[in-house]
Amino acid sequence: MMRFTAVVGLFPDLPETELTAWVQRGWVRPEGTEPDWIFGDIDVARVRLIHDFRHAMAVSEDTMPLVLSLLDQVYTLRGQLRAIAHAVEGQPEAVRAAIIAAIRG
Amino acid sequence: MKDPYETLGVQRTADEAAIRAAYRKLAKKHHPDVNPGKPDAAARFGEISSAHELLSDKEKRARFDRGEIDAEGHEVHDPRKYYRDTKGQERYASADGGAGFSQEDLEAFMAQAFGRAGQRSDWGATGRPMRGRDMQYSLTVSFVDAASGTTSRLSLPDGKTLDVRIPPGTEDGHVLRLRGQGGPGFNGAPAGDALIEITVAPDPRFHRDGDDIVTDIPVSLQEAVLGTSLEVPTIHGAVRVAVPPGSGTGTRLRLRGKGIRHGHQFVQLQVVIPPGDEPELAEFLKQWTPRQKVNPREGS
Repeated sequence: MMRFTAVVGLFPDLPETELTAWVQRGWVRPEGTEPDWIFGDIDVARVRLIHDFRHAMAVSEDTMPLVLSLLDQVYTLRGQLRAIAHAVEGQPEAVRAAIIAAIRG
Repeated sequence: MKDPYETLGVQRTADEAAIRAAYRKLAKKHHPDVNPGKPDAAARFGEISSAHELLSDKEKRARFDRGEIDAEGHEVHDPRKYYRDTKGQERYASADGGAGFSQEDLEAFMAQAFGRAGQRSDWGATGRPMRGRDMQYSLTVSFVDAASGTTSRLSLPDGKTLDVRIPPGTEDGHVLRLRGQGGPGFNGAPAGDALIEITVAPDPRFHRDGDDIVTDIPVSLQEAVLGTSLEVPTIHGAVRVAVPPGSGTGTRLRLRGKGIRHGHQFVQLQVVIPPGDEPELAEFLKQWTPRQKVNPREGS
């Protein structure tokens, strides 16, 4: 859990206005309301990621919503896939074998 | 090594004075020489000292805050915690995630694909607390059991059994809810409920009228005219009932307290005329003049 100023402090080249804009656009969704935002671990990790996209990879601001939308879809699917994999894992050997055979077509 | 802020019990925003004050207070309390009987005091005091050492040094504190060094002052080789390794990604799950393929859909799919086992799938992976699902069962009980109350054992598809208390007077179609007896919850959320729909099997001997029980009992002509004593079934077991002389079809005898809860049982007599030829009876009735003239259709 970190406050807004602590998150800004993590990045020497991240102005407060920029992080504020990210939150306002919904790219990062900390708990609480401005200016008492509380950033959880996942939010901080996301700020780092967006920081990488914008500063290290120079992804343009206009492209960011597309990038984040695709990214979130991938992680959503990964979560669902993990749930399926876990469910399959809990099945008897014969059932697992049948499912694997069906997937391999 | 614990978080130095936690060790000193101070906020991450605490200023130097606050950190010094917290350190002095704890040092006094945990100094090994004032705690000769506590072997772990030395370790605790050591923790407090190193926490203070780190936090009282402006530069070290800043590096710790940025995650560049750990609580022991060692360089953290990869301070970066990547998004992919961080829990809670579902907070950013796309609203149109996987083209309308929601977690609920997935659950339904797995339930269908894997049967009940699908419902056991570990949603713990998503970290989201999720209440267990409600399970639907049905249970058939006899009229007498439903009326007087009983405990019935329900065998679940997974081999477990559930003792279901049927309260007295349970009606057909009533749904009993057993809290926490449904599917397990995930991530600390409570289990679902078992919903048990009760079917009450009809009993030809009894009809229910609220909390009263109505029973039709056939009696012969002689029994009706002369009176008798009959054994009558009730939901509490058979009882003997005196039929007073001069009873007829529709006479209702009340068996106090023999109904459901505080209700009664009513015995309705049905007079049965002897079948076949009864010339003596016919002859007698021709000669017979009732002492009280009654038109049974009067007023009807």
